[in-house]
Parts: sequence; structure tokens; C-alpha cells
Amino acid sequence: MEFFKYISKRILQVIPLLIIVSIISFFIIRLAPIDPLAELRLNPSISQETLDKEIKRLKLDKPIYIQYISWAKSFLKGDLGYTSAGEKVSTKLKERIPNTLLLTSIVVFMTWIVGIPLGIFAAVKKETVFDRTLTVVSSVGMAIPSFFFAILLLIFAVKTGWFPVGGLTSYNFNEFSLIGKFFDLAKHLVLPTVVLFTISLSGLQRQMRANMLEVWDSDYVKFARAKGLSEFKVIFKHALRNAINPMITLLGFEFAGLLSGAALTEYVFQYPGLGRLILEAVMKSDINLVMASLMMGTIMLILGNLIADILLMLTDPRVRGTK
Amino acid sequence: MKRIWGIIFLILIVGLFLKACIMADIPEQYSDNVINADIKEIVYPAKERNVAINGIDYLQSQAPLGKFGGELVVSTIGEGPKTFNPCNTKDATSSSMAGMLYDGLVTTNPRTGEVQPLLAKSFEVNGNDYIIHLRKGIKWTDGKLITAEDVIYTYKEIVFKGLGNPSTMDAMIVDGKLPSLVQIDDYTVKFTTPRPFAPFLRQLSYPIVPKHYFKPYSDNGESVFNAFLSPNTNPKDIVSSGAFKLKEYVAAQRVVFVRNPNYYKINLENKQLPYLDKVVYLIVGDTNNEILKFEAKELDVLSIRGSNVAQYKLNEAKSDYSVYNLGADTGTLFLVINLNNRKDKNGKFYVNPIKQRWFGNRDFRAAIDWAIDRKNMVQNIASGVAEPLFTAESLNSIYLNKYIKGHPSDIEVARKSLQKAGFVLRNGKLYDNKGNRVEFDLYTNAGNLEREALGVMIKQDLEELGMKVNFKPVEFNSLVNKLTNTYDWDMAIMGLTGSPLEPHDGKNVWTSKGSLHMFNQRPANYSVDDRLSWEKDLDEIFKEGALKLLFDERKPLYDKYQTIIYNQKPIIYLYSPIRITAIRKKFKNIYPTPLSGLIYNLDEIYVE
Amino acid sequence: MREFFAKLFQDKFARISFFTLVVLYLIILFANFIAPYSSSYSNRDKAYAPPSKVYTIDEKGKLSRPYTYNYIREFEPTLMQTIYKQDRSQKYYLKLLPKVGGKRHLFGVQDGGELYLLGTDINGRDVFSRLLFGGRISMTVGFLALLIVFPIGLLYGGISGYFGGIVDTLMMRFAEAVMAIPSFYLLIILAAILPTGMTSVQRFGLIVVILALIGWAGFARVVRGMVLSIKNEDFVSAAKTIGASNLRIILKHILPQTTSYVIIAMTLSIPSYILAESGLSFLGLGIQQPDASWGNMLKEAQEFTNIFYRPWLLTPGILIFIAVLSFNLLGDVIRDILDPKSQKRI
Repeated sequence: MEFFKYISKRILQVIPLLIIVSIISFFIIRLAPIDPLAELRLNPSISQETLDKEIKRLKLDKPIYIQYISWAKSFLKGDLGYTSAGEKVSTKLKERIPNTLLLTSIVVFMTWIVGIPLGIFAAVKKETVFDRTLTVVSSVGMAIPSFFFAILLLIFAVKTGWFPVGGLTSYNFNEFSLIGKFFDLAKHLVLPTVVLFTISLSGLQRQMRANMLEVWDSDYVKFARAKGLSEFKVIFKHALRNAINPMITLLGFEFAGLLSGAALTEYVFQYPGLGRLILEAVMKSDINLVMASLMMGTIMLILGNLIADILLMLTDPRVRGTK
Repeated sequence: MKRIWGIIFLILIVGLFLKACIMADIPEQYSDNVINADIKEIVYPAKERNVAINGIDYLQSQAPLGKFGGELVVSTIGEGPKTFNPCNTKDATSSSMAGMLYDGLVTTNPRTGEVQPLLAKSFEVNGNDYIIHLRKGIKWTDGKLITAEDVIYTYKEIVFKGLGNPSTMDAMIVDGKLPSLVQIDDYTVKFTTPRPFAPFLRQLSYPIVPKHYFKPYSDNGESVFNAFLSPNTNPKDIVSSGAFKLKEYVAAQRVVFVRNPNYYKINLENKQLPYLDKVVYLIVGDTNNEILKFEAKELDVLSIRGSNVAQYKLNEAKSDYSVYNLGADTGTLFLVINLNNRKDKNGKFYVNPIKQRWFGNRDFRAAIDWAIDRKNMVQNIASGVAEPLFTAESLNSIYLNKYIKGHPSDIEVARKSLQKAGFVLRNGKLYDNKGNRVEFDLYTNAGNLEREALGVMIKQDLEELGMKVNFKPVEFNSLVNKLTNTYDWDMAIMGLTGSPLEPHDGKNVWTSKGSLHMFNQRPANYSVDDRLSWEKDLDEIFKEGALKLLFDERKPLYDKYQTIIYNQKPIIYLYSPIRITAIRKKFKNIYPTPLSGLIYNLDEIYVE
Repeated sequence: MREFFAKLFQDKFARISFFTLVVLYLIILFANFIAPYSSSYSNRDKAYAPPSKVYTIDEKGKLSRPYTYNYIREFEPTLMQTIYKQDRSQKYYLKLLPKVGGKRHLFGVQDGGELYLLGTDINGRDVFSRLLFGGRISMTVGFLALLIVFPIGLLYGGISGYFGGIVDTLMMRFAEAVMAIPSFYLLIILAAILPTGMTSVQRFGLIVVILALIGWAGFARVVRGMVLSIKNEDFVSAAKTIGASNLRIILKHILPQTTSYVIIAMTLSIPSYILAESGLSFLGLGIQQPDASWGNMLKEAQEFTNIFYRPWLLTPGILIFIAVLSFNLLGDVIRDILDPKSQKRI
């Protein structure tokens, strides 16, 4: 009962958050001196009448707060509206969400599979050559601007011919067999994954190392080691179980990041993901599209936190008491 | 152990440093692999002919016979098509994609620029009457016949009602009236314009759409019609007439077209075209990605700019592509000066009155024109792959005023012009005759390497004259907002696309009430007549030019408008990039033309 | 303090990073003196000129004072190719501490000579000099942003944590809302609303403010968490009993306890600001021409041709890399020294 009460309370808290986020973002976007019709205006063959029609359709002739209210009304009804080019926002998002999910979940999976063990070993072998090298190598990964790294990898792809240059599928994708499709996708995903993996690996690995170090110095691990248990057993039976807890919170954040995408990387790789869509929408002040994606991002963030909290409650009895 | 590594490391560093310091002076070798320009001998095939077979009026291509099959991969820069509805396209990509699907009654001859029949078998022009004879027996992709009904429907229920993008309707209005249209028989229609109207014949290239497919949507009002044929429409449902039909659209990745078996064009052996099985448009974000894709052989055609050209030309002989020079670009690149002297609703001037006096002074504008170093712009920014530009019409326009020769930059002429206008130079700083320091803002869109570099150069050029220039690159959409809505700018570097065939398309820029009359923009419903004398002349020229039908009658008028712009200099033209395009050698029937580019005849191109 | 530095210098990487950063900051501090050309210099006839070659052994194989040759630009019209060749008719010797335009520079070249150590860019500007001037912006943007982030974050988190209850709830909801907007998009939106009529100094200042607006919320949340645990300590209750004001307790007693976290957070968040600036400039929303920053100089490296045929244009990327790496390594070590068990992910 306590549990459900907590969850419903958390869900109720979400509502003011959504309202604040939507107001903040709506107003700052609309305050920007960006004309969503700029491209039309600069096209000599577009007449004034066409422009007037578009201004009416996008409600640009109304004050901002009225624009906000009419947006909020249809949002509550589940209608995300149309983009400034006249396409349905919901279809646009639907096109992109699977692609972004595919990329981000692979990246998250890879970083966790690699980062957690690396973090553990770095902590166990603290201050050894292995630990130091790892720190430096992961710092190197964090230090390259992602877009620059992506450009260099694209050049690499061109020069070796091993990987396709951006995109997600080859143009004759639909004629491939199932296995062919799989390999085609895999080939396209390698380079963007490498970039995002390199960037996020070091953070995760450091975090895990820190957690592990803390547990490693605790009395019960010291005790277990004193008892003469094997190193392996100490790590996996005693230390790891406690060190992994804070990582669950982190997993919640990762979940939130699943849909916000990695705009610059997607942009350079021409990856048909959400990040690139939002980036382009922001630059053009395509309000309905931006708002829909921001709302989605916020909801994902809250959901992620909620899931993390629930998981924590289930795994760690101590937390249940304090909440 | 550690120390040894330390020493080795130190030695390496010192060694590298010394290596960098000690450099022997050995003359560099320059390769002399200058390839003789091979002028490709291109014999143009004759114009297409009408051929009737079994009562069907085919259009026969006169190009050499080719092989059926194969595919061509091209690219489109940007976000891809926003609609396939040809009546509702507002951007270039959507227009060209929808244009693949739907043909118009007439088209432009890719070499001469004259209007020739397409879906129409022939047309007659008698004064204000345009009689169009349609091809008999040709079909839509779903097998239904293309008839006069479709033409009447397209014009009467879509174009004349302003459904979708009403720009065509607006362009067809003469003296506040639309042309009339009557059906004479199943395959003949007659248009009548209220007065002689030169651009009208070319306007008939508007795509004809199938009534049986479009009517259910056009009857249901604006919003239904606008959402109709969105990119996610199931390709199987689309009824079209072009050489290719839609096969697949994958968001942000590609659009795939396949051969239309019902297409009305045949080859010399009377077999139905097109040769290619498939045409793929890859949607790419920018030119860098396009180049990489061409290098990786994912693309077959590439337009090359600036510094890349030399590399492609050098490698052409030993590679699988040919490089074609298509001449100057149809777009223009310019510096525009804000001549606005009006006040906003609150009674505040859009442009500071002190600046108004400078910008309104022709000699001041002339000084800027003379100070700008176009030669080095071409050399540095376009890597020599461009021509200096002085005219409002682009260099490949058939209406180009060839008497405007332009001039080299000359700082002395510029200084004299400023002196004449009453400006004085003190300690390298320029002041007007009331003692105000000449200082203004120069805008361009940020993130565009070419324009930013241009801005840096122009700033330097003008600072030679003692002006203080604050160069401010701003976000593209914000800049357009300034130019067309808020008018609070001084000078800007911009570019516009243009039509090399129809100068009347520029009327939104040049007529005083145009929506793109940037240099002296008036609000939408501005009623006061405060036109400058030469603005009146421009209005007159564009009004008159549209009413004259013959090229020889129109040419002097449009020559005059270019002279006015050149003399008054509200817009100072900079240069025109040269279009260089590479295409894989395996594609045949390639007849590049400056007017239409390289792959305008997709239905005739084949793979060897 | 001395102990801290002693520990810091025990670590090899920390030592190297620290000195790298000191050298970088010294160089940009004395950019006017070290750079052979001014920030507004440009040579139109030498756009994209390759790096000047400095010779110390002359053509006869003898050791010589360092000298260089100028380049001549040629244009080959059929290929539309721009070619740079050395003009070997005239040697220009390098000079130490020459006086150029009334100002003394570290080094230079004889009159008439051109010395482009790292080549020139599209406008014929010396890349080496611009790197130094650009460093001034790129290397300080992070610090300045932190100067805004930290007071706000500390105060906001301190107040929220100290008072608790409804104040805490309201303040934290707002901070969460700011955090809920993906920071990169928020950054772009904010950069796009910057007024267009600004001078370059104003623009730089506002970009700093924007970067700060992104960072404060997360920082405030962590501070608040720390304050929550500190406020129950004995010395806080003691201060309350002697009647110290709330603000005084927060400022004098609670916040100082967070110092080590603040120092760690500072060194570890500077790199993210440097990277953020380069990302913004990549999209054309950061520091604008004609001012230089490493981010907007690196924009030229987008072009395929430049990466292959003009590798000197990639140098800003290398400098960003070195600076960020140094900050990261240094931050790691500082964290290990001050707070070995730190869990906060920054």
C-alpha cells in the first residue's frame, strides 16, 4: 500500500513539472527572433498570399500566450499538431523514434557491458598500471569534440571502404534477405555507436570505480577478505551487490536519454534519429515539433527516475525506510 | 626502470624538437601534371517528335538507343520532401520530387529555353487564346486515360481556387483577373488571358493531376488537401504520370522511384522509356556528406564547388567519373543595403535617420561597390571557381544585359565618390558632412563558411575607406526575420535563387510592393506612395515586360531594369559560382546544358 | 595547501597536465606578444597558404640562421587549381624580439617576409596567431561560466536544503524542470535568442551566461543534498542557539563544508564548457567571425578538402583535445586527493 501511495504521489508531482517545462520552453522558443517561414520568404516565387496563408495556419499572428494556450489544449487532447511544413508531428516522431531507440539502446548496452567490469577491475587494481592506463584512455575518449571525432571516422569510412558513409540503411535495403538486412543495419550502426560509446564509457567506468572503491574500503568487505575468501568471491558476492545500487539511479538517467538522442553525432552521420530532427526543428523554431519532443523527453526523464526509484526500493531495503 | 623510460621519453621529445628546428633547405618539387583540357564533343540529339502508334500519341526521343535496366543514385540536400502533392509544394526538394511524378502541359527546352509541348501534343497561340491539344490514349499509372477533364479539373478546382500553394494563381492574375478556360473536346482545351501576358505560356508547365484521384481530397477543404499525398502515403496508392513512379520513401534517408510502364515517351525503336529501372534520391544533410558519399561510391552524381574542383579534375582521367562544367550558377550572391526611411507603428524609424542619409545616397553606395574586391573573393573564397557578377540577372540568364561590363575594384574611385557625397576622412576615419562617424552593421547568416568569409573581406574593404563595420553573422531564420519583418538592419550578405528564363519571376524582389523587395521593404498593406523615382521605373518595367510576348520586345525592357540596378546599386552583386558536376562514366545519353544541368533527361539516360 | 600540491605533483599525469595548462594559459595571456601577427591581420593574396618552412641548414648544407621563403600563389585555369610555390629568389631571416608597428613581438621575420607557422585560413589570416587569440576565448569561457554557476548553485542549493519543506519542494521542482529540458537543445534555443545587434564582447558574455544557465541546476541539487546532511550536525545547531541569522549560517557554516566538492566539480566541469562552446560554434551559434575561438576555427575542418589537403586547419581541434584532456586528468587526481570515495558524478 505504502508503495502505491508513493508511486501515485510521484506521478502527481509530474504534472506541475510538465507545466513548468512547457511554459519555459514555449516562451523562450517563441521569444527568439526566428522566423519559421524564413525559407518561404526567401523564395522569390512564393507570393504574399501564400505567406499570409501560412502565417494564419501557424497562428503566428496571435500573441504568444494565446499560441501557448491553443497548443496546450490540443496537447491535452493528445493532438500534437502539425510541423511548420505541414506534416503531422506524431508521424514525424513515429518515423524517428525506432531509429533513435535502436542506436541509443545499443550504445547503453555496450557501455554497461564494458564499463561496469572495467570499473570493477580498475577499483580492485587501484593505482596499478592498469587503472592508470584506463583513466587516461577513457579521458582521451572524453576529450575529443564528438562532431570532430565523427567527421574523422567518416573520412576513415571513405578511405577504407569498410563502412557506409552515414545513414541507417542502404538504398536497396528492402531487397535484402533477413540476414542481409541485419548486416546492412549493423554496418551502418558501427560508426555512430563507436562515437557515442567512446563518449559515455569513461563516465560510467569512473562512476563504477568510485562506487566499488567505497565498498571496497568498508568493514564488511575487509572482513570478508580477512576471512580468506577468494578475491573473486569477495568481489561478486559482497562488494558488487552494494556497489551496483547507485548505478540503478544512473540507469534511470540513461533511460531518459534514450529518446533525446545525440544531436551532433546524428547530424554528422546523417542518422535519421530524433536528435537531428529536434536540432533542425529548434533552429527553425518549428514549435509543435520542438514542444512535442521536449515533452516526450521530460516524461521519459520522470519515468526513468521513477523506475530507478522503484528498482532501488525493491533491491535495497534501506531506501524504503527513508522515503 | 622508471628512470630509463623517463630518459627515453625526454630524448624523443628533444629529438623531435631538434628535428623541427633543423630543416635542410632542399628545393620542393612541384608536379607538372597539367592535363590538357579535353573538350568533350557533345552532339545534341534532335528535338523529340510526336509519333502516333495504334492511336496513341507518343513522344519519341531522338537520343541514341540505350540499354534497359540499371539504376541511378542522386542526392538532395536538406530534410527531404515534405509532400508529394505537386499543388502544395513550397520548397525546392518537394517541388522536384513531385515534379518527378507529375508532368505539366508544356515544358522548357533544356537547351534553348523555349517552351515546348509535353503532356500536350501541341499548342497554338492566337493573341490571348492558347489552344492546347492533348495526347490521345496516354495513361496514368493506374491505367486510366489522361484527358481534358484532368486539365480542366487541375486548373479550375485547384489552381484558380488557390488550393495548396496559391503562388501560381497569384502569378496568373492580370489586371485582377484570372485567365478563362474552356473544354473544346475530350482532348482539347482553350485558355484565354484577359490581356496579352508573356509569362503565361511558361506557367502552363504547372503539373496536371488526375481528377479521379485528387477530387475526393480537394472537395474536402484546405486542410484535407494540404495533408493529402504526405510523404508517408502508401506509394502503391499514388496515381501519377511522370517517367518514374514512387516506390519508397524512408524519412531522412531516401526516396526511391521506379519506372512507370505507362509512360508516354518512346525511343527510336518505339519501345517505352525510361531506360532506368530505378532512380534513388538520397537525402543528405550537407555538401560535405554528399562529397563523402560520392567518394564512397554511394552516389553517382555530385555537384562540386570551390576548392574541391581541382582535385576532381586532376583525378578525372584515372577515375570512373567525368566532370562537366555547366557554367555560372542561376543563383546570385549579393550585398544588400537597407534604404528604408519609414517609421514603425510607434513612430520610431526602422533605420537611424543619420544612416538613412548615407544609405540613401547613391554615391555612398557606389563607393561601396568600387571598394569591394571581387577578384580576391573569387580567388580566395570560391577558389577561383566563380565569375565576378555585376548584374541583377544571373550570368546564364537569357535576358542578361551584356552591356554591363562591371569594373575592377578601385579604392581611389571609391574615395572620390565619398568625397563627392560630402564625406570626409580624418585620421583614417570617415565622417559625414554633419560630423557623424560612419559606422554600421553588416549581417549574414551564421554557420555558412562562404558568407562568413565574404563578410570578413567586405568589412576589411570598407574599413579601407574609413568606415567602421560591425560584422554580425546571425542565425539564418533570424536574419530573414530582420529582412522581411522587422527591417532593423543596415547591410546584409544574402543569396537568392533565380530563373535564367523568366525575369518576371523576380517581380517579388524588384517591384515596390513585392514581398521580397528587401532593400526598401514596405509592410504588407502599405498604402502611401513613397517610391523613389527609379523604383517607379522598375514597377513600370515589370508591368510592361509581362504584357509583351516576344523575346525581342521584352529584352530591352529587362536590359533597362538591370541598368537601373547597376546604376542605383541598392543591391551590389558579388560573384556567381561556376557549377561543376561529376557523374560516373557508365551513364550515357548525358547532354549537359547550362540551363538545365546534367540529369534533366532522366528518361533517356541509360547504363552502359 | 602545500600538502595538497605535494600530493598533486606526486602524480605523473597530474604534473604533466598541470604544466600543460600553465603553459597554455601563459601563452594566451601573452598572445599579443607571442603571436607574430595581430588578430585583424589578413593577407588576401595568401588564402589557404601552407605553413611556412623554416630552414636552419641552407642549400649548400651549411648551418645558417633560421630563414624562410615567401609563397607565391598561382592559378591554373583549366584545372581551376590554386597552387602555392616557394619564391626562392629571396631569403627572409627570422628575427628575435622585432618591433612591429611600435610593439615588440617574441619573434618575427625580416621586412617583406611572411611567416605563417601553421599556414593561413580562407581569409588569409595567420592560423598560428589566431590560435593564440582564440585560446583566450576558449580557455576562459569555462572559468567565467563557473563564476556564475557556483554562486548561484551554492546559494540556491544551500537555501533549498537548509529551509526544507515547501521552499525546498518549490525550488527543487523548478531546478528539476530546468534539468528536464535536454541541455543541448536548451543551449541551442538560448543561443538562438541572443539579440542580434551585439558587439563581440557582449556576445561572448552572453554565451558565458547561457552556458551557466545550463549548468547551475544540477550543481544546486548536489549542494542541496550535501546541505541536508550537514544541517543536522552539531555545529549548525550550536550556531542556531547563539542566534546567528539563517543566511549567516548558510554562508559561514554550511557552505564552507562543501569546498572540496566544489573544487572537484570546478576542474571537472570546465572541459564540458570548452566542448560546449566548440559544439555551439560548429552549429554557427557560438563566437562569431571575425573573432576567433577554437570552436569556430575548427568549423573549417568540416570540409572534406580541408582535412585532406590543409591539415593545418585541424590544429584548433588538437588544442581543444589537449586542454580538455589536461583538465580531465587533473580533475581526476584532485578528486582522488580531496575526496577519494566521492560518488558524485559530475
